[in-house]
Amino acid sequence: MTTGISKRISSIQFALLSPDEIRSMSQVKVITADTYDDDGYPIERGLMDLHMGVIEPGLKCATCFGKVDECPGHFGHIELAMPVVHVGFIKEIKIFLEATCSSCGRIKLTLDQMEKYKHKIERFDFSLSDPENIGLVSKRITDDATRRKICPHCNAPQKTVILDKPTTFREEGIKVTPKEIRERLERIPNEDLLFFGMNSTVARPEWMVLTVLPVPPINVRPSITLETGERSEDDLTHKLVDIIRISQRLRESRDNGSPQLIIEDLWDLLQFHVTTYFDNQTAGIPPARHRSGRPLKTLVQRLKGKDGRFRSNLSGKRVNFSARTVISPEPFLSVNEVGVPEKAARELTIPVIVTQFNIESIREIVRVGPEARDEFNRYQAGANYIIRPDGRRIKVTAQNAEENSKKIDITWTVERQLMEGDIVLFNRQPSLHRMSMMAHTVRIMQGQTFRFNLAVCTPYNADFDGDEMNLHVIQKEEARAEARIIMKVQEQIMSPRFGGPIIGGIHDHITSMFLLTHKNPVFTEDETVHMLSYVEPAKLPEFHLVDGKKMFSGRDIFSSILPDGLNLKYKSKLCSGATEKCEYEDRPEDIFVTIDNGKMTTGTIDETSLGPFSGVIIDKIFRSLGPEEASKFVDRMTRLAVGFITMRGFSTGITDYDIPKMAVERIKEIGRDAEAKIDQLIKVYKDGLLESLPGRSVEETLEIEILRITGEARDGSGSVASQYLGMTNPSVIMARSGARAKMLNIAEVAGMVGQQSVRGGRINRGYTDRTLPHFKRGDIGAAARGFVISSYKSGLNPIEYFMHSIGGREGLVDIAVRTSRSGYMQRRLINAFEDLKVDDDRKVQDTIGSIVQFTYGEDGIDPTRSDSGESLDLDYVIYNLDKRGKK
Amino acid sequence: MIIIWKDKKEKVEDLLSRKSASYAVDFEVPDGITEGYITIDGKTIAYRLKITGNEKIRKGSKYDFEKKKTDLKRILQITDVKQAIIPISRFEIKLKGKTFSGSEVTEHAKVDPEMRSVSKNKMESNAVKLIEEYGGKFRIPYGLGVKLSKLKSEMPKKGFDELMETVGVELGKRAIDPYEAVGIIAAQSIGEPGTQMTMRTFHFAGVREMNVTLGLPRLIEIVDARRTPSTPSMEIHLKPKYASSQAAVMNIIKKLENTTINDVADIITDTVELSITIRPVPSDMKERLVDFSDIVVALEGESSQMSVAVNEESKELIVKPQQETFKKLYQVQEQLKTKSIKGVPGIKRAIGRVDEKSGEWLIFTQGSNLKGVLEIEEIDAYNTTTNDITEIAENLGIEAARNAIFKESLNTLQEQGLEVDMRHLMLVADMMTFTGSVRAVGRQGISGRKSSVLARAAFEITTKHLLRAGLMGEVDTLTGVAENIIVGQPITLGTGSVNLVYKGAPKKE
Repeated sequence: MTTGISKRISSIQFALLSPDEIRSMSQVKVITADTYDDDGYPIERGLMDLHMGVIEPGLKCATCFGKVDECPGHFGHIELAMPVVHVGFIKEIKIFLEATCSSCGRIKLTLDQMEKYKHKIERFDFSLSDPENIGLVSKRITDDATRRKICPHCNAPQKTVILDKPTTFREEGIKVTPKEIRERLERIPNEDLLFFGMNSTVARPEWMVLTVLPVPPINVRPSITLETGERSEDDLTHKLVDIIRISQRLRESRDNGSPQLIIEDLWDLLQFHVTTYFDNQTAGIPPARHRSGRPLKTLVQRLKGKDGRFRSNLSGKRVNFSARTVISPEPFLSVNEVGVPEKAARELTIPVIVTQFNIESIREIVRVGPEARDEFNRYQAGANYIIRPDGRRIKVTAQNAEENSKKIDITWTVERQLMEGDIVLFNRQPSLHRMSMMAHTVRIMQGQTFRFNLAVCTPYNADFDGDEMNLHVIQKEEARAEARIIMKVQEQIMSPRFGGPIIGGIHDHITSMFLLTHKNPVFTEDETVHMLSYVEPAKLPEFHLVDGKKMFSGRDIFSSILPDGLNLKYKSKLCSGATEKCEYEDRPEDIFVTIDNGKMTTGTIDETSLGPFSGVIIDKIFRSLGPEEASKFVDRMTRLAVGFITMRGFSTGITDYDIPKMAVERIKEIGRDAEAKIDQLIKVYKDGLLESLPGRSVEETLEIEILRITGEARDGSGSVASQYLGMTNPSVIMARSGARAKMLNIAEVAGMVGQQSVRGGRINRGYTDRTLPHFKRGDIGAAARGFVISSYKSGLNPIEYFMHSIGGREGLVDIAVRTSRSGYMQRRLINAFEDLKVDDDRKVQDTIGSIVQFTYGEDGIDPTRSDSGESLDLDYVIYNLDKRGKK
Repeated sequence: MIIIWKDKKEKVEDLLSRKSASYAVDFEVPDGITEGYITIDGKTIAYRLKITGNEKIRKGSKYDFEKKKTDLKRILQITDVKQAIIPISRFEIKLKGKTFSGSEVTEHAKVDPEMRSVSKNKMESNAVKLIEEYGGKFRIPYGLGVKLSKLKSEMPKKGFDELMETVGVELGKRAIDPYEAVGIIAAQSIGEPGTQMTMRTFHFAGVREMNVTLGLPRLIEIVDARRTPSTPSMEIHLKPKYASSQAAVMNIIKKLENTTINDVADIITDTVELSITIRPVPSDMKERLVDFSDIVVALEGESSQMSVAVNEESKELIVKPQQETFKKLYQVQEQLKTKSIKGVPGIKRAIGRVDEKSGEWLIFTQGSNLKGVLEIEEIDAYNTTTNDITEIAENLGIEAARNAIFKESLNTLQEQGLEVDMRHLMLVADMMTFTGSVRAVGRQGISGRKSSVLARAAFEITTKHLLRAGLMGEVDTLTGVAENIIVGQPITLGTGSVNLVYKGAPKKE
C-alpha cells in the first residue's frame, strides 16, 4: 500500500467555452424559470432540475445517481433568444471591431505588415509567456490596424466604432446589435487572431458574444430553507430566473412579430440581466437588487476581493482539529510546551493506524472510552471514533467502548484524544512572521485556557489582557515530523530577521536575575534551596562559610543553571556606557559579565544577557550547544527567576517616586525657568529680532527653539528626580535592568511630563488662533501650546490634562493607521516574494528559473544563523579557542 | 570586440573537454575578436571563451570541407573555455553570431557574481589571496577575509591553522539551506517591524533645517518604486579642494538653488501703462543669496520678447512687452514669474553643513535633479546621491538603482532603530531590479507579472486575469506557492521541493 502524494496536477490550461462545448457539457436544457413545485419537488427542466445535482438529503442526482455528498454537480444550459455580449470581454470586442474590416473580416493590415508583425508576435508562446508583454505587442499591432480607414484586402471603407458604455456599440450613431457583432467576429479568419493576442486553438472571438449560457450546478447556488419552512434562493438562481424570463418573452415577441421597438427593449433588458449576472458592479448600470434592497452577489463578486473565493476559500481554508481560547501564563511549563484544557483535548483527535506494534495500546485507549480518567481522577486519553478499513466511522461511547476495543484490528484507524507529548501547532494572529506559528508539545491541564511559558510571549507578541490563540492538531506523520524538527519553539529561538534570539526572559525574569546577580548578594542555605527547588534538575552550588554559616552567592546560584563549557565575556546593559568604571558597580571588573566554563564570575545579568532581541547568553548557548540546551536554559532561567523573585518579593508603587521637597521645588523652578525662557523668546520674535535658521522661516525657527527648551527642561527635571531615586528603588531597578520602562518614564512620573506634541510640533489646533478658550487669541506661550509642567505623580491641571489627551489621541490614531498600512505593505511583499527559493548551489531563483541572486545575500549565509548579520563573530571564535587552548 | 552566439550544449561540452580546438562557425566573424561568449538558452551567457585564431575558410585550405558543409564561413581557434553564467538582460541574442562593442558586454561581464558589491581592484589583495587559498575548501565572505588576512600576519602559523579550521566548520554550519523560502523570510522580516515604525512623515534627520520623509511612509515609497519621492532631496559631496572653505560652498549653493524672480521680487503689473514693475524684496534676496544685478543679467537674454529698463536708484526694473497688447503683457508677466535667475531646475533649496565625521562641507537640498547637479564642476560625482531612485536608475543605471534601494531601505529601518538583516533588503533590491528596470512591489510590478494565472488572480484584480487567461489560452504550470495552495498541493519550497520515498525494509527472501 502506498500512501502520500501519488499524483500531482502538472498544469492547468485556460480557455473560452464555445457554444457547442457549453451544450455538450450540459446535462439539461433549462426552459422554465420556476424552481420547485407546490410539493417542494424540483421542477423538471427548471433551474433546480435534478440533473444539475442535489442539495436535499434523500434525493438522488438524475445524472450520476449520487447522493448529496457524492454528486459533484453538473452544468445545465439556457438557450438565449438573441445573442448578448459578455461584459468581461467588452474591451476585446471593441478592439476586434475596430481593427478588422467590417465586410471581409480580415485584420486591416497589408500583407507586408502582417508578415512583419507576425515575426514579432510569434516569438511568444501564448500559453506560457508574460501576458503583459504580449498585450503590449498586440496593442501596437491593433492600433496600427485601427487607424486604417479603408480595408487593404477588400477596399471597403470603414466606419469608426464607438463603445457606449457599458455594453452598446455604435457605428456613426447607429447601434450595432450583438447579433451583428457576432456575425462580424465570425468572419475573422483564425490566422488573424494571432495579432490580437488570442490563441486560436482555445478561443474564437465570436464566443465572446453569448448565444448559450451555462447554468452552474445546484451545489454552486444552493437554496436555503429558513426556519419558517420558507425557501430562499441563491442570488445566482434569482439572476438566472430573470434571464430565462426575459429570454422567453423576447423569443415570443420576436416570433409573433411584435414591433421592433419592443423587441429592442427586451433585448436590452436581456443584455442587462446577463451583464449583471456576470458582474453586478459594472460601471454605468445600476446594480441588480434583491427584494430587500441589497445588491445581488453575482459571479464576479463571488470571486473578487478579500471575501471572494480566491482569498477566502482557496488561498486560505477553514480547518478541523483546531481549537481557540483565551491564553494565560504558566511559568512551570517549558517553552516547548502548551497547556491544553481538558475540554479541548477531549474534542481534538489524532488518527492512529492500528498495526501489529501498537494494537495492544490502542485497544486500551479505545477500551477506556471517550471520558477516560485514571485512578487519581486525572485526564486520560480515550478514543472518539474508530474507522473501519472500508471507511465507516463508529462513534465510541462509554457503553460500546469495551466491545469496540475488541473489534479493532490491524489496518483499522482509531481517532484518539490528545495526550501529553503530542505535537501541535500554536498560533496567534496577526501572523506577521514565521514565529507566529510554532509547534509545542501538549500538557493537559485543568481550567479553560491555553497556557504557555512567558518567554514565548515575544515571538507571538502575546499578552494576557484577553488575547486568544489557536491550536491545530497535526493529522499526518510527515507533518508531525516536520513540526518537530523545524517548527518546535526551541528551533525558532533565533529570529531570521536579525540573527539573534527572539525568545528570552521578560519583565520579572530580568528583574529577578538582576537582583540575584547585581553586586553578588549572598543567601542562606534555606533560601538557596528554596529558590533552586523551582529548577529541575537542580544542583546546589559551592558555598562559602560566613560566620560559620553556609552562604551561597547570587552569581553562583545563577551559574548553577548555566550549561558547562560556556565561555563568554561582554558588557552588561547596566554598564553599556561605561569604559573604565561603572557608576552602578562597586568593582571595576563588573563592567563585564564574565562566564568561564559555565561559571559566572563578574558582572550583572540584565536585559543584554537574557532579554529577547539581545540575550547574549541564550544566543551563545544556542550556537555552541544547540537548540535543546538553549530551551532548557530558558526553562531553568524562567523558573529560577520566578522562584527567586517570589521569595524576595518585588513591588512598586506611588511612594517609589517620593522625592524630597527641595527636589520638587527645584523641578518646579526648572519648569518656571523654561516658561520664562519661552516667553523671552516669544518677545524677541514679536519684536521681529529673532534670527532665522538657514532655510527656515522665523516662525519655524521659533518653534524649533521652543521645542529645544522644553526638551531640556524635561531632561533637567528627570536628572534632578533620578538623583534621589537610587538603585534601591524598584522602578529604577526595572528601568536600569531593562525589564520594563525607561528612565524617561520615571522622569515623567517624578519630574515633569513635558511638552505634548501633535505631528512633531507643539499643539496648535482648536479654536481660532488659540487651542482653548482659556487663552487669549494669539497666545503662543508654553501652557497654551501644551507644555505640561506637572508630573504624573503631582497630577495634571485640567488644561494640562487636556493637552496630554490630545497627544495621547494622536498616538492611538497613529497605531490604527499604521497597522492597516503596514499590513497591506506586508501582503504585497509576501505576494511578490513568496516564490523565491535558494537552489542547490545557493543561487536565488524564482519560479520560471530567473536568477535573482547568484549567491544568497552575497555570501550564502543564513541570516538566522549569522551573528547579528555578520557571517561570523571572529572575536568570539578566537576567545573560545583561547579558552580551550588554556585547558 | 566581442562576439556572442548560440550553440547546443553538447557541442560546447565537447569543446570543454578539449580545452583547445578549432571551431567552425556559419557566420561572419570580423577580425580582431579575442573573446567570445556562447549562450545556450538565449537568456544567459553560459560560456566565456578565448579566441586566438580567426580564419576564413578558403578553398584548398586545411579546413576546406568541400561538399555539404558549405555554409560554414569561419574557423575560430578556441583556447580557453570557462563556464560563466551572466544574464543577458539588455540585448537580445539572435541565433547566429552577433557582435557587440566590447563595452556593452564587458559591462555585463563586470558584474562578477562572486563579489559584486566590492569591485575587484578596490579589494585588499591579501584578503583576496586568502579567500583564493581556502577557496577549494570553503567560501570566505570578503568582509571576513579582510579580518582574517589581518590576523594571519599577527598570529603564529599553528594557531592560525587551528582558527581557520574552526572558521571552516562554523561557516559550513551557517550556510543557507537549499530550497529555503528566502523570499517569504525577507518579506516577513521587513513587514513585521513595519507595525513598530512611526507614521510621522516629517522628522529632522541630521539636518535640522530640512524635512525628509521617514519611517513607514518612506519604506512604502521605496517598495512602491514611485516616480518621485514625496520629499526628494540630495546629499551633495564636493571635490576636496572646495569641501573645506565656507565661501566656496556658499558659491556652489548659489549655483544650485533654483531661484525665480517671483521668489525674490514683487511683480507688479500696470494695465494702464502696459508695463510690469519688478520690485526686489531685499530680505528675500539676502536669504536666496541673489543681488540686483543677477536679475538684470537673467533678463538680458529675453530682449527679443520685452524691453527692460533698469532704475538703479530705486532698484527696480520696468519691463514692457515688445508689442503693446494685453495678451503680450500677460504672456510676459507669466514668463517673468517663472523666470529662473540661477540654479539647477528642481533644486528648491540647498543648505551647506559640516559633516561631523569627516569635517567636510556637505550640501543638502530640497528637490532633486541628479543629472543637473552632476554637471556642476565642483561636485564630487562619486559620492553625491539623491533619494530619488528612479532618477538614479535613469542616470546611473540599474546596478546603481539596486544599491540605492538597498541603502535607502536600510537607512530607513536603521533610523527607526529596527534591526533587519541586510540580506533581506538585498533580496528586495535585487528582486525589484533584476529584470533591468525598477519594478514596484505590487500589482503594477512584480506581482502583476507573475507567470501563474491563479497567483495573479489571488492577489488583486481577479477577473481581469482570469478572463484574459481564457482568451490567450494561458497555461498555469503550478510552479509557485500561491497556485499550488489553491489547487491543494504541496508547495515547491522547503521540504515540499524534495521527494523522499521510504520503500520499507527489504523483504527477506
